Amino acid sequence: MIKFENVTKTYNRTVRALDDVSFHVKGGEIVGFIGPNGSGKTTTMKLLTGIIRPDSGKIVVNGFNIREDPIKVKESIGYIADSPDMFLRLKGTEFLQLIADIYKVPTEVCRERIEKLAEKFGLTQALTSPMMSYSHGMRQKIMVIAALMHKPPVWILDEPMIGLDPKSAFELKQLMREHTKEGNAVFFSTHVLEVAEKLCDRVVIIKNGHILYDGTLDDLEKQNKNESLENIFLELTEK
Amino acid sequence: MKMYLRLVSALIQGVEPSDKEKKRNRIFYIVMACIAGFGIMLPMTFFVGVIIYSMTGTLSQFGTVENGVEIFLHLIAAFSFIFGLNVMFSVFYFSGDIENLLPLPLRPYQIIASKFTAALMSESVMECLVILAAMVGYILGGNMPLYSWLIAVIGTFTMPVLPLIYCGIISMTVMYFTRFIKNKDAVNKIVGIFTFAVIFGIVMLISKSGFNSDKLVEALSKPDNSVLAVMNVIFPTVPFLVKSMGTGTLLDLLIYLGINVIAVTVFMLIAQVLYFPSVVGIGQGASHSKKTLTEVIEKMKLRPVTVTYLKKEFRLLFRTPAYFTNCVMINFMCPVFVYLAYVVHQQTNFMESFIYGIHSGNEETVLEFVLGISAVSVLVTAVNCIASSGLTREGKHFSFIKYIPVPYITQLNVKALVSIVISSSGMLLCVIAACIWLHTGIKFTLFCCLLCLLSITFATYFGLYMDSVNPKLIWDDELNALRGNYNIFFNMAVAIVTEAIICAGAYLLFRFTDVGALMIIIIVFVLLMVLNAVSYLLCRYKATKNIEHI
Repeated sequence: MIKFENVTKTYNRTVRALDDVSFHVKGGEIVGFIGPNGSGKTTTMKLLTGIIRPDSGKIVVNGFNIREDPIKVKESIGYIADSPDMFLRLKGTEFLQLIADIYKVPTEVCRERIEKLAEKFGLTQALTSPMMSYSHGMRQKIMVIAALMHKPPVWILDEPMIGLDPKSAFELKQLMREHTKEGNAVFFSTHVLEVAEKLCDRVVIIKNGHILYDGTLDDLEKQNKNESLENIFLELTEK
Repeated sequence: MKMYLRLVSALIQGVEPSDKEKKRNRIFYIVMACIAGFGIMLPMTFFVGVIIYSMTGTLSQFGTVENGVEIFLHLIAAFSFIFGLNVMFSVFYFSGDIENLLPLPLRPYQIIASKFTAALMSESVMECLVILAAMVGYILGGNMPLYSWLIAVIGTFTMPVLPLIYCGIISMTVMYFTRFIKNKDAVNKIVGIFTFAVIFGIVMLISKSGFNSDKLVEALSKPDNSVLAVMNVIFPTVPFLVKSMGTGTLLDLLIYLGINVIAVTVFMLIAQVLYFPSVVGIGQGASHSKKTLTEVIEKMKLRPVTVTYLKKEFRLLFRTPAYFTNCVMINFMCPVFVYLAYVVHQQTNFMESFIYGIHSGNEETVLEFVLGISAVSVLVTAVNCIASSGLTREGKHFSFIKYIPVPYITQLNVKALVSIVISSSGMLLCVIAACIWLHTGIKFTLFCCLLCLLSITFATYFGLYMDSVNPKLIWDDELNALRGNYNIFFNMAVAIVTEAIICAGAYLLFRFTDVGALMIIIIVFVLLMVLNAVSYLLCRYKATKNIEHI
């Protein structure tokens, strides 16, 4: 569902954020994207969602090439950005209505999903208030609801667990599993190795714009016997 | 002192564009700065200098040589006070850096002093230029001695201090005594509305007093001017500065500087006492809805994306105090200023001949009226900066524009529509009122409205394009998105220069050729349509490309 092939991205012609990076995410897969700060995770996310353009390489999402069909790609994606502080003077329901109209979610489906997701994430009381009054975690939750509103086949989530309380983090993980069971794909970045360990079918480890590892965590642990995931990660990224 | 300077430097860097932004568009900035400098700042300062020069020359015959520059400096101080009030509230209480400054081991007066200095430096550039121009006009008009130049330089940089200190003291006092109001949006909006009410009140007072521009010169020629006497009490620095320039008395200069020093000291003492109790615990504005989620979502229905996007833009403009005051309310001040212009000129020869000219169908007067409508429409659209900050206002979440499946041009069109609707609301009111008052007839009124809309649409699309070149996306608070934003200033400069060229060209064509006023009006109309097409195409092809590369 995601083909990221030989992608290179340079900022200001000097900083090479991604250097000939390639990876694939198949339908039914949850793929974790791991790497130290400044390794190129957010750049990859932004390239996948069309926020920035690659210098070279090919990006295909849900069968659509981002250069040729950017709108189709964007319709196929549910994206959670790294900062949830967005349109804070809108009420939660106004923001969700905006998202529903942008993604053309039918009225009945929209009502049903808002009620269901709001209850799941404990936002039923807060949604009718301006988002300015929300805590960081509540803002993150509404971004999660907004990203899932139109049931997109591909979820691209940049650090989605940050700010979520344990119950909401659990609910999101459940939703990710349910989503992939239906043949869809989830690609998310995280710093929490335990989350990756318990949730991901596969991980992609990145450092300085290069892919260091692309495979299952089991294989990674087999290659480095008697070592914790944390140690393996540190060894890989501090080489 | 070291701490103060470091803080000022850090705060100034938050307002100025980063070196990276500057480098990225060096040529663009140079061209725009030249247009702004030679097209607006230089002509404006020259105009002010010439007015004060001739006024000083005239008043010297009556022995009241300093009255002209004195009343002008008072006027500048009053404007600085009125427009500075909102800025001081925002800078001291509602800016995003407060949360970072409060936990630091800084004394209240250190925070206030550095914030005040940073605001003064970014707010007073244009004001300093105008003050300098007025003083140069005064020195040349009154044949003042050499030392006057030195005093003029000192005055230029110190004159804007006192009005802003007043604003600072008022903001701290109001916030101290209204600590219980935790809704910062409400307080911010009330300050904006209060400012508007003060301006409206002043205009009404002038209107009722039967004041006009002829009476102004007459009043200034008298040594015992009551208006000046009142203003001298409000801004006591002005008379001493003007006197020291004229007589060169060191004592006057020392008194001038002394008043400023005392004002700063009092301000710092007040800050030490009032600032922390008034700023700590200030809450974010948010009213809680009484409706339940079920009630709200029952009313939800799928709407076209343009409608919902339009609603979002309007909501954010009206609900954000900085945008509400600077982008929305300013449009409704336009009719007030037009009324003020009418009041000041009523029963003067100029106004009488203008009214007679319109009634009798005098070609020159009709042309002036039509060109005036177009010029003011462009100016209002540029000043309210709804279009020229359309992308800047997205700030850190600019990426939203890029990852939603809505074509960029659709989003730009919606942003343009918001600007056109809000800009035309005040302007059309003015145009229709003027046409009714001048009995111009329905057809002419409709034509004027159409011309007004064409001018606004041109300025809107051009403003959006200008903002797309290099939007200022990193800002602490919403006022920061508008304040010190070069895009807004440059857009204003280009729009004004373009409109000035059109108006001057049309007028010169009328004066120096045989082409009639009607034909010139048609040419202007067609030219505006062409400019509309050009600015729209700039948005459609260039601005969308610019967005892609941001």
